[in-house]
Amino acid sequence: MFPGRRETDRRPRGADSLVSGILLLALLITSAADAFTITLAGGAPKTIYLQIGVGTFTGTYCGTGCSEIPPIAQSPGSAPGTNTTINTVSVSVAANAVGNGVAQTMTTDSTQSISFFDGFAFCNAPTQLYIGGFYRTPGASGAGTTATVTATVPVSLTDAAGDAIPFTQISWTSGGNGDSGAEPFPASSFTGTSQVVGSIADNQWAESCWTFSYSKTVVPAAGTYTGRVLYTLSAP
Amino acid sequence: MRPLILSAFCIIWLAVVPVEARTTVIDDSATLPYNAALSLHWQQLEPRGHVNNLMVGTLQLRVRLNVAPWLKRSGRIYLVLPAQQPGGMTASWTTHGRLLPGHLTAGSRTLVYSGLVTTPFIEDVVQLTLTVDARRMGQAYPVNFRFEMDDD
Repeated sequence: MFPGRRETDRRPRGADSLVSGILLLALLITSAADAFTITLAGGAPKTIYLQIGVGTFTGTYCGTGCSEIPPIAQSPGSAPGTNTTINTVSVSVAANAVGNGVAQTMTTDSTQSISFFDGFAFCNAPTQLYIGGFYRTPGASGAGTTATVTATVPVSLTDAAGDAIPFTQISWTSGGNGDSGAEPFPASSFTGTSQVVGSIADNQWAESCWTFSYSKTVVPAAGTYTGRVLYTLSAP
Repeated sequence: MRPLILSAFCIIWLAVVPVEARTTVIDDSATLPYNAALSLHWQQLEPRGHVNNLMVGTLQLRVRLNVAPWLKRSGRIYLVLPAQQPGGMTASWTTHGRLLPGHLTAGSRTLVYSGLVTTPFIEDVVQLTLTVDARRMGQAYPVNFRFEMDDD
């Protein structure tokens, strides 16, 4: 029996439905793949900043495994910046006070009393020397890490005649106006040729004010004694 | 009496059936760049005051959406940022006017076009800014966007 007209109409319609279903499926699959992509680079490079008295340095560098594009010039372990300004802390000791064992406060030629953090009058120059900085690092691996400030210290202060005063004669207290809690750069004294004098937690600003003292427990020859301490901020 | 009750039921039933818009992903494969690299930088370099640990990056996209299937029909186009790694992302953008400016967070979508589709393609220059929590950025991440059409 030949199919009637209604049956003829139905047959291709069924086939059409199948084809349409396949095409629709294919279209959906193609559409699902349409999505533009933005690849986020691994993160901003680490950044450190240190300010001691007058003058400063800011460094940007890549840590281990960093793939910054364009590449950062400084390699891991290198010194990214140097503050060429030398701040002087000094004291003059009266002849009748030499070796009396009474600590004498030193003063600085730094005029920096204002906090670089918020503009607050934090330190009291010339009695206090400002020290502050920050450490920026992205990524979970940077959480909990700290940047440290290390002092490189000669054994002695010396004069033109070659006389010496041990650097251990110099110590400092730490604090600032309106300050509370532990200092990031705490009180201490020079104890060796290389010592950590403070640290900065990741993604934080740290600052303190140092007041130096000369302990006067030795009796050196009369003269002008000098020595230079180099402070280095380094991050992991 | 019974036929009348049945008719009333049908009318009520029809009235409460919601009309759902169909959502379709739009072919945006002509968008340039289609696979863009984005370098991020600190939104606030110095961690002052309330610590800001956000990193931000901006790039320009020439968006070209193939809306030919909806020609002469009305619809709403959304920019979608699916929930994905590294998480904690927000996006904001400005446009040259064909699409709407806006912002969205990961896992959501925002309307960028509503109305009649009059041309086979909708094109615009989009200045896209992505903001990410730096603490989540230990490695590179591909971030996928897409455009969706809701039929009216």
